[in-house]
Amino acid sequence: MLEGLPPAQGSDATETQYENAGRLGGKLGRFLLSSEFGLLLLVVLAFAGFWLSTRGFSSPFNQFGLSRSAAVNILISLSMMSVIVSGGLDLSIGAIGVCASILAGWLMEACRWPAPASVAVGLALGGLLGFANGQIIVRTGMHSFVVTLATMSVFFGGMIILTTAKPFDSLPDDFSLPAQQHLFGAVSPLLVYSVLIACMMAYLYRLTAIGRDMLAVGANARAALLSGISASRAVTLCHAMAGILAAVAGVMLSMRNGAAIPSMAGNLGQDWLLPAFLGPVLGGASLSGGRVSVLGAVLGAVLISVINNGLLLLHVGAFWLQFFLGMLLLGAVMIDKARMRVFASGDRR
Amino acid sequence: MSPALDLSEITKSFPGVKALRGVSLRLDPGSIHALLGENGAGKSTLIKIITGAQSPEGGEICVSGKPVCFANPLQAIEAGIGVVHQERNLIPRFSVGENILLDRIASASLRPINYSAVHDEATHWLRLLELDIDPRRLVSELNVATAQMIEIARALSQQSRILLMDEPTASLTLSETQALFRMLRRLRDQGVAILFVSHKLEEILELCDAVTVLRDGGNACLSRPLAGMSRSDIVSLMIGRAEPIPDLGRNQRTDLPVTLSLASVATLGGHRDIDLDLRSGEIVGLYGLVGAGRSELARAIIGLDRITHGEIRIDGAPVSIGSPREALHRFGIGYVSEDRKQEGVILSHGVLANVGSTVWSRLRGWFGFLRDATVIRLVAPVLSALEVKASSLDQLVENLSGGNQQKVSLAKWLAAGTRVLIVDEPTVGIDVKTKAYFHQLLHKLAREGRAVLVISSDMPELITLSDRIAVMDHYRLVGKFENSGDYGEMSHAIMAYIHAAPPTASLKSQNSAANAAAT
Repeated sequence: MLEGLPPAQGSDATETQYENAGRLGGKLGRFLLSSEFGLLLLVVLAFAGFWLSTRGFSSPFNQFGLSRSAAVNILISLSMMSVIVSGGLDLSIGAIGVCASILAGWLMEACRWPAPASVAVGLALGGLLGFANGQIIVRTGMHSFVVTLATMSVFFGGMIILTTAKPFDSLPDDFSLPAQQHLFGAVSPLLVYSVLIACMMAYLYRLTAIGRDMLAVGANARAALLSGISASRAVTLCHAMAGILAAVAGVMLSMRNGAAIPSMAGNLGQDWLLPAFLGPVLGGASLSGGRVSVLGAVLGAVLISVINNGLLLLHVGAFWLQFFLGMLLLGAVMIDKARMRVFASGDRR
Repeated sequence: MSPALDLSEITKSFPGVKALRGVSLRLDPGSIHALLGENGAGKSTLIKIITGAQSPEGGEICVSGKPVCFANPLQAIEAGIGVVHQERNLIPRFSVGENILLDRIASASLRPINYSAVHDEATHWLRLLELDIDPRRLVSELNVATAQMIEIARALSQQSRILLMDEPTASLTLSETQALFRMLRRLRDQGVAILFVSHKLEEILELCDAVTVLRDGGNACLSRPLAGMSRSDIVSLMIGRAEPIPDLGRNQRTDLPVTLSLASVATLGGHRDIDLDLRSGEIVGLYGLVGAGRSELARAIIGLDRITHGEIRIDGAPVSIGSPREALHRFGIGYVSEDRKQEGVILSHGVLANVGSTVWSRLRGWFGFLRDATVIRLVAPVLSALEVKASSLDQLVENLSGGNQQKVSLAKWLAAGTRVLIVDEPTVGIDVKTKAYFHQLLHKLAREGRAVLVISSDMPELITLSDRIAVMDHYRLVGKFENSGDYGEMSHAIMAYIHAAPPTASLKSQNSAANAAAT
C-alpha cells in the first residue's frame, strides 16, 4: 500500500522484529518481574506462614472454608475490576449482589420455582441493575462515584421495602448443594466456578474486540471515541458485567448460608467494598482505568481470604483485621501511584 | 527618559526548538506599542516572559531602567506590569469591587473585609476609566466587554504603569472595540505604556504608535514608529522568509472525483455557509488563526457536533454522520487530532493496542473473538512503512518520541483504510527532519487516491503541502484558491483574506460570548 515511501526500508526485517518481542522466553522473564509474580510469592508466603504457625489452618475443614470464601472474594474483586477497567467504580455491587440473591430466594421459596431458573433470573436482575448504573452514568455524564452511591441506597432500600427485611431461609436442598460438596476432600466446587469465570474474563480482555474497547475507553475515552469506539456502549457493558458478577457472588453467598439474608453483606452491602477494591488494586489494576490484570485480581482476592482466615484463627479481633486490610489497601494504592510516577518520568526522558 | 519596559536580546529554547533567538523590544511611557507575529513566531513565549510565567535563558529585562528578573507572575505584577489576557480572568460570582481588589482581599486572610472601603476604592478606579458601574454588581451579570474593562481597572489598581493587552478585541463588537480604544488612548495620555498584541492590522494602524514584529523567533523590526507604514509593509515584515519552500509538486486537476463535499453547512458550534469539496487524490489546506473554527469543523464532519443546516455528501450522496464510529466504519473518514497526547493516542497503552483500535470491530470473529496475530497481520506493514521506531509492539506509546507518537496516531487511520483523512496540525511539536518526512508522507497518501484535508496554522507547511487552500475566519470560509507554491504570493493572499474579512461583529461576538460562557 505504501511502497516507495521516502526512505523506504526492508519491511520484512521490521515485521519480524515486532513479532519476536512477544515470544515465550520474553514472556516468562516479564512474568517473573511482574506484580502478579510478587503477589503470588506473597500468597505462598502467607499460606505457608499460617500453615506452620496456626493450629487448625491446615485442617481439611478449614481449607474447605477458605476455598469457599476465596470463591466469593474472587467474584467480588472481579466485579469491581470490570468497572475499574473503565476508569470508574461501583459502590453498589454489594447491594446488587444481595438484591439478586434475595430475588432468587423469593422465587424458590415463595413461588416454588426450580433452583436453576431462579438463579438465572437473579443473575439477570444483577445485570439489569448494573446496566441501569451504566446508562445513568453515560447519559448524565456524572461520575460513577455519585451515581453508584445513590443507586446503592436505592437498590438496597427498595429491596428492604419489598421484603420487609425478612430472610428466605427454607431454600431447596439442590440449591445449596454446590456449597456443601467437597472436591479432593478440601476444595469447594464454588472455587472452581470462580476460577472458570476468571478465565472467561481473561479471555474477554485478551481475545475479544469488546474487551479491547473497554480497556481503550478506560485509558483515554476521548482518544477511543475518535478512533471509532463507542465509549458509552463500553462503559455500560462494564457496569452490566459488574452487576452480573456481583449477582453470582451474592448467590454463592446464599448457597453457603443456605439462606438469602438481606444483611449478609452488611448494611447497604458495604461489607464488600474493602475486598472489592483491595483485590484488583493489589493485582495491579490502575484506578484511573485502562490497565487491569485478571490473574492479579484473583491472587489479590486469594491473599485477602488467606489473611482473613489466618488472622481469625489467631484470634486477633475483627477490628484488627479491618485495620490491617485497610492499611494494605492504602499501601497498594501508594505503590500504584509510585508506579505511575516512574512511568511519567520515563516519558520525560 | 528611560523606557517603561526594555527587553534586550531575550533568548528561550524548548526541547528541540529555539523559540526566541535574541528578541528586543522598547516600550516608552505614554505610548501604545503593537506586538505582531505569525503563529509560531515567538509572540506567546515573549508574552509569557514579560508576565513572569516563564524565565528567559539569556538577555535582560529592564523596567523603568532597572534590571528585573521575574520568578513568577506575582513579581511581574509587583514590578508594575498589568496583564489583560485574551480569556477573562474574573470570578463570576464575586462582585465587581471584590474582583478589582481581589489580591488585597485575598492577602488579608482572617481580617474581616471592609466592604464599604473596597467598594469606595473600586469606584475610584472605575471612575478613572469613566465607567458607570455599581461595584456591588456581580461580574456574572456583565457582558464580555464590560468584564474586560473590569480587568483593566484591576490592572490599574495594582499600580501598573505597563499594561499588556493580549488580543483584547477578539471577543468584542465594533462599538465595544471603539470604547476600549478611547479608554486606551486616555490611559496613554496619562503616561501608561501599553503593549497591544493583536492579529488585526486595521486596529493596529488605527491605535498604535510603534510596532515590533517577530518572525521565526527574532525581530523582523524593533519598535519602529508606525507613522508612514502601510498594511502591506507590516505584512511583508511578518511573512518575509529566508528558507525556501520545498516543491512537492501540485495537483491542479479538476476532473478528479469529489469524495467529501460540504454544501452550505452550518453547525451548532457556529459555522455558517461552509462550501468545500475534497477530491480524491488532492490535499486541501485549511488555514486560519487560532479560534477560527477549523478543528471544530473537522469535529462536526465526524459527528461530534450537530449540522444544523446544509448537507455533507460522500461520493455525491447526502449522508448523516452521527458519531466518529459511523464516520470511520461507514464512510471511511479519519480524523488525526491536533492534541496528540490527549486525543491522538492512548499514552498508557502499547503501540499495537493504539494502532489496532480502529480495526478491532472490523476484524473480530464469532462472539467478538480477536487474536493479536490477526491485528498484527494488518498493522505491522503499516508500522514498517511509516518506520515507527519502537522496541516492540507492546512498547508503551508514552515512551516514544513525539514524532513516533504522531506516526502511531496516523498509522491507525492508514490501517483502517480510510478514504478521507483530516489531519489537524500534522507536525506540531515535531523536529524539522521528521516534519519534512511527514510532508512527503501526506503528499504520498493523497497521491494514492485519498482525499486529505490538512488543518494548519503553519503557513509554510500549508503552502508546501496543499493543492488548494481554503481560509477560515470566524467560523466562515472567507477564501478558496489554487496554491501556486510561491510563498510570497500565497502568504499575501491568505493574509489579505483574513484581514479583509467583513466585520460580522454582532453575530461573531455572540458566538464568542457563548463560547466563553461555556468554557
